[in-house]
Amino acid sequence: MGDREFDPIQQAQNRRRHERMVMLRDLDVMSRREVLRRGGRLAAGVSAASLLLRAGFPIVPTMAQGTPAASEIKLPEYGEIPANLKGSGELRVISWGGALQDAQRKAYFEPFQELTGIKVVESEGPDTSKIKAMVDSGNVEIDVAEVGYDGVLLLLKQGDYWNKLDYSLFDTANIDASRRHEFAVDMLPYGTVIGYRTDVFPEGPTGQKDFWDLTKFPGPRTTESGTGGVLPFLEGALIADGVAKDGLYPLDIDRAFNSLSKIKSDVVKFWDAGAQPAQMLNDKEVVMGHSWSGRVYAIEAAGAPVKTVWNEGMLSTDVWASPKGSNAENANKFMAFTLLPVSQARLCSLIPYGFVNNAAAKLLPAERVAMLPTAPEYKDQMFDTNVQWWADNTPAVTDRWNEWILE
Amino acid sequence: MTAKQSERAAHADRIGALGARVRFDQVEKQYPGGAANAVDGVSLDIAPGEFVTLLGPSGSGKTTTLMMLAGFETPTAGEIWVDDQAIAAVPPWRRNIGMVFQNYALFPHMTVGENIAFPLKLRGMPRDEVTRRTREALDLVGLPGYEGRYPRQLSGGQQQRIALARALVFNPRVLLMDEPLGALDKQLRERLQLEIKALHDQLGVTIIYVTHDQQEALVMSDRIAVMNLGQIEQIGGPGELYDEPASRFVASFIGESNFLDGRVTGFDDGLGVIEAPGVGMLRAPAHGGCAINSEVALTVRPEKIVFADELNGASANTIDAEIVTVIFVGEMHRYEARLGGGQTIVLKRQHRSGVGRCGRGDRVRLGWHVADGRLV
Amino acid sequence: MATAARAEQARRFERLERLTQRRYLLLLAPAVLFLVIFYGYPVAAMLLRSFNDPAWGFGNFKPLTAARTPIEILGVSLPMNAYLRVIGITLQIAVGTTIATLLLGYPVAYALASMPMSRANLLMIFVLVPFWTSILVRTYAWMALLGTDGIVNEVLMGLRLIDQPATLLNTRGAVYVGMVHILLPFMILPLYAVMRGIDRNLMRAAENLGARPWQVFRSVFLPLSLPGVAAGCLLVFILALGFYITPSLLGGQRDIMISMLIQQQVVQLKWGFASALALVLLVISLIIYLVFVRVLGVQRIFGGGRR
Repeated sequence: MGDREFDPIQQAQNRRRHERMVMLRDLDVMSRREVLRRGGRLAAGVSAASLLLRAGFPIVPTMAQGTPAASEIKLPEYGEIPANLKGSGELRVISWGGALQDAQRKAYFEPFQELTGIKVVESEGPDTSKIKAMVDSGNVEIDVAEVGYDGVLLLLKQGDYWNKLDYSLFDTANIDASRRHEFAVDMLPYGTVIGYRTDVFPEGPTGQKDFWDLTKFPGPRTTESGTGGVLPFLEGALIADGVAKDGLYPLDIDRAFNSLSKIKSDVVKFWDAGAQPAQMLNDKEVVMGHSWSGRVYAIEAAGAPVKTVWNEGMLSTDVWASPKGSNAENANKFMAFTLLPVSQARLCSLIPYGFVNNAAAKLLPAERVAMLPTAPEYKDQMFDTNVQWWADNTPAVTDRWNEWILE
Repeated sequence: MTAKQSERAAHADRIGALGARVRFDQVEKQYPGGAANAVDGVSLDIAPGEFVTLLGPSGSGKTTTLMMLAGFETPTAGEIWVDDQAIAAVPPWRRNIGMVFQNYALFPHMTVGENIAFPLKLRGMPRDEVTRRTREALDLVGLPGYEGRYPRQLSGGQQQRIALARALVFNPRVLLMDEPLGALDKQLRERLQLEIKALHDQLGVTIIYVTHDQQEALVMSDRIAVMNLGQIEQIGGPGELYDEPASRFVASFIGESNFLDGRVTGFDDGLGVIEAPGVGMLRAPAHGGCAINSEVALTVRPEKIVFADELNGASANTIDAEIVTVIFVGEMHRYEARLGGGQTIVLKRQHRSGVGRCGRGDRVRLGWHVADGRLV
Repeated sequence: MATAARAEQARRFERLERLTQRRYLLLLAPAVLFLVIFYGYPVAAMLLRSFNDPAWGFGNFKPLTAARTPIEILGVSLPMNAYLRVIGITLQIAVGTTIATLLLGYPVAYALASMPMSRANLLMIFVLVPFWTSILVRTYAWMALLGTDGIVNEVLMGLRLIDQPATLLNTRGAVYVGMVHILLPFMILPLYAVMRGIDRNLMRAAENLGARPWQVFRSVFLPLSLPGVAAGCLLVFILALGFYITPSLLGGQRDIMISMLIQQQVVQLKWGFASALALVLLVISLIIYLVFVRVLGVQRIFGGGRR
């Protein structure tokens, strides 16, 4: 479920929030409409109670929608892997569970164990506060974690929490330098895009200016919140206000909030969980919303009259990072392995996240590439988020948000 | 009108309260799903100022009868009258009948004073009168100055007195008491029996009292209605019930009795003659219900049975028996003796006449005056 | 001589009695130990953070006192900021939820307590089943019911009561509906327990003394059920203070509760400030608890129906 660095869930501190995440994931599919369709058309006499009953039990508990059943997919196969990735012992990896970790298991964990001889031990639900606690107490139980890069930077500010990466093991030829950081490496790109209802707007919005245009595109909207673990989409607000997308950083916080104020009354919900905008689009609670790309794609593939606008979308990514005190050798081998072209293409075949290794595109069918945020055709339309700026300015933005939302 | 009743009426005039007449007319109560009637055709006429006890084992319908009078149960047939008013349509809160519950039912969140003032305030009485009457009621039950205490700070006996004061403070014309002393120890119970009795004499209120304790009924009541299986078996004064029980149930429920089963063989000079197997021919005063050859029991109280040599001239029954046990019970000895037919009878003798007379295994001759037996 | 011996004996009895009482305390030890280790210590450590993370002092409480947006009440300018406002909103929502829960729960508990035990036990299932269902599922059910195209709007429009879908979801009202639904069992259960314990003869006695049914209720049943009311309100109020998921999913822009801000700070690894906010929440809870105890007495809240 690691859609974005600041996924509430990624950062979530306790199990209760983890449960919430699993549930929200289910909401993607288990929207009311879906329930109704499965239960037959709502007859006039259907009692709310029976609906509640049906609504009470998740029917399709995965987010693998929009992807052919796993058995039908032909995954790219590995040839010979670099000898320096082989080893022994075990590798403890923590990811976000659910459909994502299922895909990662097939794409990464199983072949890694088989081809390198290093045993993979999985767990679920990483967050930076947990890792901080592990390192602080000297009881590090994981070697590689899927986290947000801002979390990595935040912890670095507090001390020596991460292992440096050994890029001599990596396929650096095909991984852009911008994706390789000293203490982490990008691994799961996704977009923050506009999704809209095609039945409301046959001629849809084309960018952030349209999202802010309440006359041409009237109706309720949703965008990201500043509480619940996510951050407001200030970049979108600035682009709508006329800032060029390659001159966004450092963000003008005042200007961004002024811009947000212009649509505040039409935002019925500032969402704080990735599943919410998709659910609201699907249930027509909103006509338009900022959302993580995989979510819009999921309901679109499930048949909702919804479309994605990639233009002026923001590209973000989760990273692999290895906590101080863990098995750095195996961690590096594992990270390098998952960023091989074949590994990347395998994951992209299973779940619509982008690839970090540019050579992966050649291993995928063109129509599959077109639904990924890292497709070459969207590269010019989208922009990269500046995690460093966010790591430095999050407290200021949050503070500002808390005042602004109550105005 | 007896002297006592007129004295009562005069007192009632003084204090402004007089007991009401209460009449049950063929009252029945059947609970939904219940096989038999809980109360089955009870008719009872209670005079103003009378103290009547409903006595019976649990499940005999005595409490249900009381609850119908209080208004917490509705009769399925019959009518209840208080003076000249049929009360079926009167809700409980307008019946003006006082009631004392077994577990006192004092309001735990109110002080003693508030408990007693409760019915007065509901009747819209001015505050200073409420205070005055509350004080009087507490004086009446011998707990002056207890207004400020909470029920939980009182002993069981004190709580019962407060409950009594609360039930009397609004001058009800009828007072119902449902096993009010059941939860108290024996000594306290006996003291309160006398206190309630004295209060009744003083106030002249009609009291209907429910108990399963025959001793208590005998001590307190003007009349006792013995109930069994929803019906009144017999109603009468304590002495009447003791000496002339109308049925084997009454005889066994009130006091201790010996029963000798037998068959009526004839009549002799107003006496019935019965043949008791293994014992012989016995005589007892006959009553209308006996016919030749009917199966009856001769009942005789243990204290009426004596050793044969103690019998004086009057006509007596005598039987042979073997002493089985001898128990010293304080003021007397209690003997159990086996008769020829294998039946056991009990007799009680004062010390002087019993001590040293006989012991276990002795064969003795026992007897009683014919007039002391009764056929039931 | 004899009195001295007797006094000595009395002392010995007293000592024995004290010892016996102390032995009962031993039974508490495992639970107390458990709470100290797994609750007391972490809470204390967490609260300590509010004073020493990142540095010793009251720095973490500064944002709470900062006058970002002063407000005037009766001509007096008071410091006001988002954090104080959110605390205010939190209290408002918790109080509203408690009142609504009480108004809905009291008649239900009363009805259940008046029924024969067997029927009450059966109907109690309807109170408890939602209790066993995940908060998330129930919250989502409300999203499905209250949405623009939700059942409630469909029914209202079908009945031609409204011709445009009403905004039900993402409002304070929706937060109340969702929270009341989730917290209702916490009100009903203590109320029911206390009401069951009320001696029915007291009601009969009151009627017999001349009280009409509503007077019986007002002067006898209601006061005797107050311990249940207090326990239920306390439970619901304190649980409501910490609510997080339901207001976040059902609420509107301004329906922010303090737990959301705490999480916001935890995420940013500003644990000191998060702890400070948690401390405020804890202090509010404690104050409310103490007020309840002060006003009603602790045995009345936890000691059941008999005083």
